[in-house]
Amino acid sequence: MELFLEQLPIVLKSLNVGFLQTLKLFAVTLIGALPLGLLISFGTMSRLAPVKTLFKIIIWIVRGTPLMIQLLIIFYFPGLVLGNPIWGGGESGRFAAAAVAFIFNYACYFSEIFRGGIQSIPIGQDEAGLVLGMTKTQIFFRVKLLQMIKRILPPVSNEILTLVKDTSLARIIALQEVIWAGQSFMKGSQGISGAIWPMFFTAFYYLVFNGILTVLLGRLERKMEFFR
Amino acid sequence: MKRKVLAMMLIGAMAASMAACGSSSETAESSAAASAAAEETEAASEAAEETEAAESEVEAIKAKGELVVGITDFEPMDYKDADGNWIGFDADLANAFGESLGVTVTFQEIDWDNKILELDGGVIDCVWNGMTLTDEVKSAMETTEAYLNNSQIVVVKADVADQYQDVESLKDLNFAVEAGSAGEEEAVNNELNYTGVQNQAAALMEIASGTADAAIIDSLMAAAMVGEGTSYEDLTYTVALSDEEYGVGCRKGSDLAAALNDFFQASAEDGTMDQIAETYGVQAALIK
Repeated sequence: MELFLEQLPIVLKSLNVGFLQTLKLFAVTLIGALPLGLLISFGTMSRLAPVKTLFKIIIWIVRGTPLMIQLLIIFYFPGLVLGNPIWGGGESGRFAAAAVAFIFNYACYFSEIFRGGIQSIPIGQDEAGLVLGMTKTQIFFRVKLLQMIKRILPPVSNEILTLVKDTSLARIIALQEVIWAGQSFMKGSQGISGAIWPMFFTAFYYLVFNGILTVLLGRLERKMEFFR
Repeated sequence: MKRKVLAMMLIGAMAASMAACGSSSETAESSAAASAAAEETEAASEAAEETEAAESEVEAIKAKGELVVGITDFEPMDYKDADGNWIGFDADLANAFGESLGVTVTFQEIDWDNKILELDGGVIDCVWNGMTLTDEVKSAMETTEAYLNNSQIVVVKADVADQYQDVESLKDLNFAVEAGSAGEEEAVNNELNYTGVQNQAAALMEIASGTADAAIIDSLMAAAMVGEGTSYEDLTYTVALSDEEYGVGCRKGSDLAAALNDFFQASAEDGTMDQIAETYGVQAALIK
């Protein structure tokens, strides 16, 4: 117990630093992937067959391969094959590579959710808008977008909660997020070695953060209840 | 019509975002080519400089002002002090080497399984972390001369240690070894029962938790992590199964390895190496 109390501040400090990386990756991914996902969903709904096919193939590849492999390829491929390590070896380069991989991966998942949401709006609304003389863009932004957001909120919430935990995959390219920080005490770090509890303790961080997110997303959902 | 324009823009955006991952080297080259066409004489001297830099990695590191050293948290070679600075025999020596080159040393923790990938991918400049010079390592990296002795050593619970003082007595024990390590090789060579685990520390934990009877790990690590005053007070080490040596790994064909050899020799002669070794209690293992 005495040893535990001695170790606790060291471990917490290290886990906090790691969790900050986790949060950063989470935030950057969300900010990048939501708009990119909307763009990709437009691509998959295009009436030009080649455009549609191209986007479908991209989504197939990104959703059909493990994110861990995508991380490895995006981080190591430039230096290994093209002979130009664009990311650099430091922590910031690893973060940038991880962010690119996560944004691209999650944008593809979001795009399919968005497509489902957009296509679930009855076509009668498009027709009504056209009769009123609105352009397609006006119909999308003024009529359909908010209804779509309401409908896709539950599946998007799912993806967001999954994203929080998926950030731990970035440890494969040695991004020092919270799991890495916890794991380092198993092997030995800052005078603590063979301690397994810090790694299990990281679950607590995820749990609390996902709890906060669940409450926030629930509130957002209730705000949308005014129209059905 | 509008829709077509939008579609084209989308394709453009996708292509650009994909290109951002891959082809920045091409753009750099093509812009270099463009400037070469414009200012031939200057470009010629630039190009000459460039090829020189490509040949000498040491010069490239000096120009960059930074040496990125790939490490893992591995006491007593590379580990963090209370302020979060990297210390240890290898870390201190690497800092001294950086000083001799006039560059700052950046320690980057890596996944040990990916060390060759990290080197070949150009994201780190060398692996300097108590690396055993196996045939595999030597064929994949440009390695330096060995600077430290190590052995693969058997760790058991202290209260039964006197029963296991020779190789014959080990046959009925269940071992835990790091998968892919020199320790696993020894377990195979000596026909021992073993389970592969993730790393050497996990192997120690297997003994502590009673899921394995013994482990085979690096003697330098055993000296630091096992026995009185450590977190594994009830464990001890007995038989040394093999002798091996530590070296630094650089990219294949890099002149950094030669520069490191010169540095090792110089620091052995002026006593800095002994001094650092004594700080971390590994002086007995030094290769002179």
